[in-house]
Amino acid sequence: MITTINTDTVKTSTVNKSIVNKGQVFKGSNNHLNSGENANEQASQRASISTESSNTKVPNYSKLATQLDAVKTDIKSKIGSEDAAYIRRVILAQRACEWTGRILLMLGFIQPLLWVVGVLSLATAKILDNMEIGHNVMHGQYDWMNDKHINSKAYEWDIACDGSSWNRVHNYEHHTYTNIIGKDRDFGYGLLRLSNDFRWRVKNLWQFITYVMLSVMFQWGVSYHEMAAERVFFGKKKDNRKNQLSHAELKRRFFSKGARQLVKDYVLFPLLAGPFFLYVFTGNLVANLLRNLWTSTIIFCGHFTGDVQTFSAEDCVDETQGQWYYRQGLGSSNIKGGKLFHVLTGHLSFQIEHHLFPDIPARRYKEMAPQVQAIFKEHGMHYNTGGFFKQYASVLKRIVRYSFP
Amino acid sequence: MKALINRAAAVFFHHATWAGYWETVVQMVNPSWRDGYYQARVKSVSTLSDTSVQLILLPQKRWPQHTAGQHIALTVEVNGKLVTRVFTIASGQKSRQNEGTIRLVMRVKKDGVLTPYLSALSSKSATQAVSKVSVNISAPMGHFIIPNAVMPNAARLDKPESTSLKGAMPEQIKPVVMIAGGSGITPFIAMLEDLNSASSDNLQSLPIHLLYFAKENEHLLTDELAEHKRLNTYFTYELLCRQKDGGVEQLLDNHTDSHWMVCGPQSLYDEVANTHANLPPSNDVSLDSEHFAAFPVATAQTSAEKAIFSLNHNGSSLLVDNQQTLLTQLQQAKRPVTYGCGMGICHQCQCVKKRGVVRDTRTGALSDNAEQLIQLCVSQAVTDLELQA
Repeated sequence: MITTINTDTVKTSTVNKSIVNKGQVFKGSNNHLNSGENANEQASQRASISTESSNTKVPNYSKLATQLDAVKTDIKSKIGSEDAAYIRRVILAQRACEWTGRILLMLGFIQPLLWVVGVLSLATAKILDNMEIGHNVMHGQYDWMNDKHINSKAYEWDIACDGSSWNRVHNYEHHTYTNIIGKDRDFGYGLLRLSNDFRWRVKNLWQFITYVMLSVMFQWGVSYHEMAAERVFFGKKKDNRKNQLSHAELKRRFFSKGARQLVKDYVLFPLLAGPFFLYVFTGNLVANLLRNLWTSTIIFCGHFTGDVQTFSAEDCVDETQGQWYYRQGLGSSNIKGGKLFHVLTGHLSFQIEHHLFPDIPARRYKEMAPQVQAIFKEHGMHYNTGGFFKQYASVLKRIVRYSFP
Repeated sequence: MKALINRAAAVFFHHATWAGYWETVVQMVNPSWRDGYYQARVKSVSTLSDTSVQLILLPQKRWPQHTAGQHIALTVEVNGKLVTRVFTIASGQKSRQNEGTIRLVMRVKKDGVLTPYLSALSSKSATQAVSKVSVNISAPMGHFIIPNAVMPNAARLDKPESTSLKGAMPEQIKPVVMIAGGSGITPFIAMLEDLNSASSDNLQSLPIHLLYFAKENEHLLTDELAEHKRLNTYFTYELLCRQKDGGVEQLLDNHTDSHWMVCGPQSLYDEVANTHANLPPSNDVSLDSEHFAAFPVATAQTSAEKAIFSLNHNGSSLLVDNQQTLLTQLQQAKRPVTYGCGMGICHQCQCVKKRGVVRDTRTGALSDNAEQLIQLCVSQAVTDLELQA
């Protein structure tokens, strides 16, 4: 069953992806030539840019850079044993949740409630592994510890997506070229139209359903996407991007990591449970689903809320540190919440701070946030934050809004 | 079986070893336990002189037996960061067999990374709480030992990388000249301890002469040297000072029939190696050495002057300067490197620096000399480097 859905998603993504690519080619090459076909789009783009610039004053970039650098230096001097102890504590909690979950799933035959607790526990473990541990460790936030296992080179997370593929695409393309249309492929994941930078297509009419599908299958979506899959499987190439790994190697990694995850959750552990095969099988399925929905939702809230800005490739030519900070800040949005909420989001609820300072241990974002917010205010920059429901509603609105021309 | 479990851990739990997956859990009961390291309890810390500290460690039972002259890597956690330094074991097999302990003698630098840790330890030792502190150590390493011919205990050690130029016939006892510089005395102290406690006459009667260079009044462990001389009539030594006694060359003139062993700074080794090379070819001298590259004094100003360093990248070497980043230079040299943003964000170009110091081009901060991860795109060479992708 799983494989069928998976193939479906793959097909959808291929079709939609090709549209995005055309849009990109058009934008890059014809920027100063108004070819009739696309005049409308360009006009609407310019309109949106001019409205934006009328109510945002241009900040003093060098001052912005100095101020944010100071915030970073200050926090860096505090990083030490507390942070090392913290990440080890989170890993400990992850192990506890994972094995409690896996054992309780097998005990579901005694009392169904145990199974439910098991699912929730396993889902929590998977969320911790992906968000607070995997994402942050693989960003190099804990490399200073010199630990053999807790570093961006050695760590590999518990999802279908191969860690080094993710590292390459996410850390490089997404974090360097945040929200630059055509360069940051995380913007809409090549499946969704989330701004007027992309030309409208009939398929966008049902992109809300595509979005739901993507959320359900998020680990596979990310895995496929991060591999720049359409280029690997269907032979598309882009001139301006160097292929640093051979396609065969990427393909091998995709299948090997994905297959290992499938075997682990749907063959190995169910078989270990013997007669309770189905309890464990379905439990793992639900736990993976919960994790997928949670991570997808949090990540969408980080970049696709209503007020998040997009940029064009010209914006980042010879970009200064201040301009880079500016773009990172306006391309992200935060979610307010309690301590546990922040931990479960891997502190991606502080997406703005994360994008400004991707290699500071994420637990420090909370204490940096008030300073960052004050600096943004001083420069007249919008600090995009709000409660979970407000931000999520704004994401859904954006997906629906751009379903239409 | 172990290999199979580790394979499964790598495939399904994405950790190189099964033990590594459970590391944080084991640390609940045993905080200094680390996958891939041995543990040792700190028995005592004491000050030897203004600039040196003696650390007595009690390694765990499964730690392998060492041979006098070998060294270990000592790893401690300083403010959340694992710091690793290499030290020669300054004690012989005897103290390990009798009391279970080994001794390290280390020079304390004013702004060294280990210094705050050690001073915290010695203040603890006043309150007797120190015996609860554990550190991580590696297995004993190195081939700087008394040659096989005279130390039957050492015979089981294979010496593939030995720099020893074997001149001595196995049955013939050739006098040994030990040449020590500063804290380079430590392996010799360990060897003397084991020679004095050895049962075989063969060893007891090995003539040894020690030339010990250090700054005036900074010779370490002189009491012990005197004690060894009292116990062993075949052992003699000279405490030397370069300003007063001059270089090593003329002192070695009288010892051309011996096996030379040198341990100390690079400059001392160079001098001895030169002397050795200049000897007439008919002589019967063999040379064994262990030398440490002196930690360079690197300051922010160093970068202003262009300098060339050697870089060992995955086993092959090339020259790099301190003006451009390592990534740029590796690319120019057409070396296969993975890279991404070129500005220190994406960690694509990250690799393991085995030794050497680099400067972070963003902050100007200098790295540690020990093994750690660095990003090539924001690193410049400050010393000779060894990298592994």
